[in-house]
Amino acid sequence: MLKYILKKILGMIPMLFIITFLIYFLLDLTPGDAVSHLMDPEALARLSAEQLEALRETYGLNDPFVVRYFKWLLQLVQGNFGYSVSSGVPVSQIIAESLPATLELSGTALLISTLLGSILGVAGAIKKGTIGDNVLTVFGMIGVSIPQFFFGMVCILVFALNLEWLPVGGRTDPSVVSFFGRLKYLILPASVLGISLTAGVMRYARTSMLDTMNKEYIRTARSKGIPEWRVNLIHGFRVSLTPVVVLVGFRLPTLIAGSVVIETVFQWPGVGQVFNAAVRASNYNLVMIVALLFVIMVLFASTIVDILTAILDPRVKLDS
Amino acid sequence: MQDQTVISVKNLKTYFYTNQRCNKAINGISMDIKRGKTLCIVGESGCGKSVTASSIMQLLPKLSRIEEGEIIYHSEDRGDIKIHELERNGKEMRSLRGQDIAMIFQDPMTALNPVYTVGWQIVEMIRAHENVSKKEAKARALKLLKDMGIPYPEKRIDEYPHQFSGGMRQRAMIAMAMSCNPKVLIADEPTTALDVTIQAQIFELMDKLKKEYDTAIMLITHDMGVVCELADDVAVMYMGNIIESGSAREVLKSPGHPYTKALLKSIPILGKGANQDINPIKGSTPDPFNRPTGCQFAPRCDYACDKCNEAMPEENQVGGTHMVRCIRFQEVMADGK
Amino acid sequence: MFALSSKKRFNNKLDKLKQQEESGILAAKKAGNRTLRKLLNNRLAVVGGVIFLVILLACIFAPLLTSYNPLKVDMKSILKGPSADHLLGTDKVGRDILSRILYGGRLSILIGFGSALGCATLGILFGCYSGFKGGLFDSIMVRVSEVFMSFPQLILVLMLVSILGQSTKNIVIIFIICGWGSVFRMVRSQILSIREEEYVQSLKVFGLNDFLICYKHMLPNAIGPVVVNITLSTAMFILEEAALSFLGLGVPLEIATWGNILNSAQDMYTLQNNWWMWLPVGIVISLFVMSINFVGDGLRDTTDPTQQG
Repeated sequence: MLKYILKKILGMIPMLFIITFLIYFLLDLTPGDAVSHLMDPEALARLSAEQLEALRETYGLNDPFVVRYFKWLLQLVQGNFGYSVSSGVPVSQIIAESLPATLELSGTALLISTLLGSILGVAGAIKKGTIGDNVLTVFGMIGVSIPQFFFGMVCILVFALNLEWLPVGGRTDPSVVSFFGRLKYLILPASVLGISLTAGVMRYARTSMLDTMNKEYIRTARSKGIPEWRVNLIHGFRVSLTPVVVLVGFRLPTLIAGSVVIETVFQWPGVGQVFNAAVRASNYNLVMIVALLFVIMVLFASTIVDILTAILDPRVKLDS
Repeated sequence: MQDQTVISVKNLKTYFYTNQRCNKAINGISMDIKRGKTLCIVGESGCGKSVTASSIMQLLPKLSRIEEGEIIYHSEDRGDIKIHELERNGKEMRSLRGQDIAMIFQDPMTALNPVYTVGWQIVEMIRAHENVSKKEAKARALKLLKDMGIPYPEKRIDEYPHQFSGGMRQRAMIAMAMSCNPKVLIADEPTTALDVTIQAQIFELMDKLKKEYDTAIMLITHDMGVVCELADDVAVMYMGNIIESGSAREVLKSPGHPYTKALLKSIPILGKGANQDINPIKGSTPDPFNRPTGCQFAPRCDYACDKCNEAMPEENQVGGTHMVRCIRFQEVMADGK
Repeated sequence: MFALSSKKRFNNKLDKLKQQEESGILAAKKAGNRTLRKLLNNRLAVVGGVIFLVILLACIFAPLLTSYNPLKVDMKSILKGPSADHLLGTDKVGRDILSRILYGGRLSILIGFGSALGCATLGILFGCYSGFKGGLFDSIMVRVSEVFMSFPQLILVLMLVSILGQSTKNIVIIFIICGWGSVFRMVRSQILSIREEEYVQSLKVFGLNDFLICYKHMLPNAIGPVVVNITLSTAMFILEEAALSFLGLGVPLEIATWGNILNSAQDMYTLQNNWWMWLPVGIVISLFVMSINFVGDGLRDTTDPTQQG
């Protein structure tokens, strides 16, 4: 198993090369002086044209493209992501400040939607054709069809503005320090971000469960005389779990991308908002680095899903 | 007592209701399953063999139900139990399944849960019915696997079904079915998915179990050859009816129904060479939604006459336990082989 | 109590079926297209189809339904609530919301459908050939699609928007660049399974041209799931356009689309006090996307023979 995990992680490396190359290629295409990505804008402004040219030479910006790419990659690996053109703050600092918020938000959303989605999906499959199942089906459809930000706006209107149960947005208030005080800020954005995934997981878990329950081994399990809950959960759900995990992995990019929109709606100070602002300001270096960060998050997540699948399903060949 | 009946089925009717239609899958059948005997149910696919088994186990799909008739299990300590009145997955039915009546399915490739080890699945069965520790149960599972002739059982017990070959899987299935010493073993085409050489081994194993544990076996098959080898009693089914039944000797020696006769003629005999006269049955089984009005076999029958189209023939007792549902059975029997 | 009654209902239903069967009604009803009948039996798909058509036709015939110009600024009537004059009120510069929704729908639906069609075309073109040919071309194409699919779609879209700039044409191009990968994979896997079939082998033996075998003989057998995918990805692109425009990075703001109408309602004041500016259009988007999903699901279920009932 350890070998398999190692193999999967090593397998990510070529992909990382391709993606960083692509991103550097796009960065190179963008208008603007590459020097501006590399240093503090204020210092840059004081330089004369000759000094600038000298800098280009020292930074190797006049080198061929491939050489520049590898130099850039080397910088990345050392943790030097360059500067944000608009604020002059190092990109690494911006990310360090905003990443925890995003991880907190998407992590919570992921947890809620996976748990809730599987439970509702399995319940729907077991009670197939009942009123409850039909209601869930329609809700699932609404969940995948409603624009997330619109759902967020409705939630803000109902729960924050009219009922005043929860705050309108933001991550926390300087005056609040308690865990539950902070949780209040998390509930709305996390549920809104998770709604589409919850609905997706639910629909998929239901289909997958129905599919499993038609299998021969479910009949075998019944023929053993074990209680129905064991047939459903220990035999049916356990097998349906694998495709559900695969689906969650498959939908993770959507969840991460959703954070860009949801963070904007709820003024959540995360990477998504940084990204959004950078795109608006044509702050290319920041855009590319944050995009790279998102891709790496997705890659890691899908590797984890691969490993989880191997743990869950003994039929997955570990050595292929 | 020699011929002790364990399960008796009387005038059973089971209908299916899929796709907004009503399919009379079983249309009034009666049979007795006896202790220490093998009852073979023969017929083409779609004739209702498997539905009979599912009805006895109450493992029918959702959109189907037992309409009429009774299935009675004569238990030793609890008296007669009316299976047809029990709730499908209710407590009583569950206590019968596995403990008193166990089942082996057609395809061992799909009948074992792929995500649990073989040992786990046997242990689950034992612990569902008996109050034993995990360790004890596992020891018993190990012994069962060994008894079923699985090599290296100590290693095999912790392996997953996909690591087993087809024949080994079916042995594991039988081990699981036998784990609580059931009184009745229902085997639904247990060898259809296996190689011929493996088939013989599996049947040998089942025959051994029957003799050792005095288990009643209901064997469902479409292979007349298997019937000749194993059966004590035979019931031939066609389109949801038993058209001929009786002891194996009676039915095989002097078949009274043209269908049985045709089935017997359609098996090639080994060693007789390529020139032997094999007579396939002409035509195909009718559409269950568009049945013939009288005898279901009439359109394909060589002996058919006008009277056959009027009504399904009654049951005729032709001596001993032999029963035939054909109005011209005397001519059929007189025709010889 | 409840369980008992549901069991009784189930039994009654079966009794009725048995009765009908015995009287021969069901046997007579057999004629007709089975797929169509199954689709019509799916109540949700029918409801979805109706909603879809209503919204689509309303958008197409927008000039007949409203006399307002969606872009005309009218400073005399700003932020008016719904009234007989303006059924859904007006926005901050006095434009009629209803006409904006109807005309905006035209563009939103066009962008969604156009992008889905574009993705399908590219995906089929490459997927078919890649699956049929295999070899180096196939492995390169698979890798390329993998790279595109490892980006969260919205992130990739935003990156490209920041580079290519905002315009309706660019949005469609970007959607196609970002979305062809999934169709490609779907078609490729279909073709891979068809490739081994006898008729393809025999066509090869006949010495038929690769392109002819692949696009004329194999593609029609692989197209079913793609058609369902086109409906479902139309819905997805409509959602994506809305999200993009909501962020102010989609179609240029002065053009009416569903997303742009919502964009003007981002502040808390509008959210609380001018509900007509954002609630109706949000509901229309949700309904439209939902109706497409219902129809797509229905189509998928009817083409799937394992579904019974």
